[in-house]
Amino acid sequence: MATSESVSSARPVTAIRGWLASQRNFQRLQQVIIFIIMVIGAIVMIAPFEWMLATSFSRSANIAMPRIPTFWPADPSVFNYKVAITNLPLVRYYFNSLVVTALTTLGYLFFSSLTGYAFAKGRFVGKSVLFIILLTTLMIPFEVRMIPMYQLMRQLHLSDSYAALILPFISGGFGTFLMRQYISAIPDELIDAARVDGANEWTIYARIILPLCGPALAALTVLSALWRWNDVLWPLLVISDRDLYTITFGLAIAGRSQGIFTGVALATSAIAILPIMILFLFLQRYIIRGIMLTGLKG
Amino acid sequence: MVRKLRKSLIWYVFVAPTFILFGLFVAYPTLETFRLSFFQEVATRQEFVGALHYLRLLGNQVFLAALVNTAFLGILFLLIIIPLGFVMASLLNNLRVWPNLFKAIYFLPQITSTVAVALVFSYVFQPNWGLVNGLLRQLGVEPLPLWLAEPRYVLTGSRAAVTILAVWVALGYYMLIFQAGLQAVPAELYDAAVVDGAGPLQTWWLITLPSMRPTFVFLYITGTIEAMSRFSDLWMLGGPAGTPARSLQTIVMYIYQTAFESNDFNLASSAAVILFVVVLLLTMINFRSFLQREFSSQSGG
Repeated sequence: MATSESVSSARPVTAIRGWLASQRNFQRLQQVIIFIIMVIGAIVMIAPFEWMLATSFSRSANIAMPRIPTFWPADPSVFNYKVAITNLPLVRYYFNSLVVTALTTLGYLFFSSLTGYAFAKGRFVGKSVLFIILLTTLMIPFEVRMIPMYQLMRQLHLSDSYAALILPFISGGFGTFLMRQYISAIPDELIDAARVDGANEWTIYARIILPLCGPALAALTVLSALWRWNDVLWPLLVISDRDLYTITFGLAIAGRSQGIFTGVALATSAIAILPIMILFLFLQRYIIRGIMLTGLKG
Repeated sequence: MVRKLRKSLIWYVFVAPTFILFGLFVAYPTLETFRLSFFQEVATRQEFVGALHYLRLLGNQVFLAALVNTAFLGILFLLIIIPLGFVMASLLNNLRVWPNLFKAIYFLPQITSTVAVALVFSYVFQPNWGLVNGLLRQLGVEPLPLWLAEPRYVLTGSRAAVTILAVWVALGYYMLIFQAGLQAVPAELYDAAVVDGAGPLQTWWLITLPSMRPTFVFLYITGTIEAMSRFSDLWMLGGPAGTPARSLQTIVMYIYQTAFESNDFNLASSAAVILFVVVLLLTMINFRSFLQREFSSQSGG
């Protein structure tokens, strides 16, 4: 086979070689190959989500799943979504997630930038020692300190409250460090000029520093929001009241419960996933830029 | 002196809230974890027992298995994601049509919560009708793999399934960071390679790859730390015990199970201390070998 084919294809091979010798054609072929690889990868990325959606709209998925996976429901119906919404107070869960994420992120931005400003531009006794302590806190993973944190929350009678989900995360070593680096790059002349005009440090912080920190604050917003929205370990420790479940935690508990129907489980997942995905598609430029600035993911 | 302190005062006000919160939620809990690890609850009192819990852990098969498992899953993940992420980022970096669209699509699993993704994948890997086995059946694969129901160390077992899941989730992030690194490679290096007559593959291997060292080190270090504290996805798929047969149990899951299911806070705290020491050591070793090589390469050339 090899010989007969190589003989018959001798001409085409030279023809292809000749075609490729042109720089433009070579680059065109390269683009096509890369494009095909990227499309295959994109299909792999999207397929599980698409399959989730198709299954979530199929009523029969709860009784028997087709042996051949389908990407379009054979019997489209919103039955599973109706069950999911009546089973679980998903609107309440979303509301809790919004409250916790928004308040934590606001606090994180405020304390990170305030303390970051002091470390970047302030002059005070003990600054370098405090900064080293700050860097040390970066090295201690949450998982190492979660048991005493849980006990502390119980002692303070804060278990099963928004405060338990918010308070431990409204300040952070990473945020403070990032803001300090960012504010250090702001020229001192700007601040000195404001001081000459009689502005105090609060005014300088609010009127001069904060407006110049847009990209850093945006990056921290992305990180803090992703961390809080997606967290499950901390709610697992301090929240047992169903009325306080976040959407992520509520989905986790529902998904882990025995005997949940496939279609309903996937409809619940879709309800938890899709709004965030749509939000991401609108904000993806900022989110991706934020992650590239900090190097961290949610 | 008083004036100096008065001028400093405002800065202390700016720093105070952050440090009060650090004291409450970082310093105190960390020290308390260490303290708890040396004590034992007797009746309602805590009694000092020295290194007892550490000795208990060293003889504890479940803990040691969780430790080994965490390392195994972490190494497997990094061995796949780092080369794959780099190759895909290099390809995407050369693509002129819709690069941002692809970037966004590859990033989708990353912004989705780990819990939701794990839940979907528990169905994707369902042996009888899951997406993966459904497609494999179409291709005529027989017998179909058990995936999440297979605890042994095989290519289609539970560990393989969760590694596929982790790679699928993280690929977009790794590509993003690699792309940032690729765009920072000085253009003069490429110009020099073109002058020397190097082909695209040669340039990629001889110029791009070595220039990307800092990015590789960054992803390797952060990846190691993250792998050591893996919890959410495996807990979602296998519960605190990492079912089947503890094949998915990590250290954090062991800590969680010991503290909150067996109510042994002292033993769990000593496991947390060991986790802390392992993470710290890994970070230090990684940083040191990185810095050392950086210095030797500077003096060498």
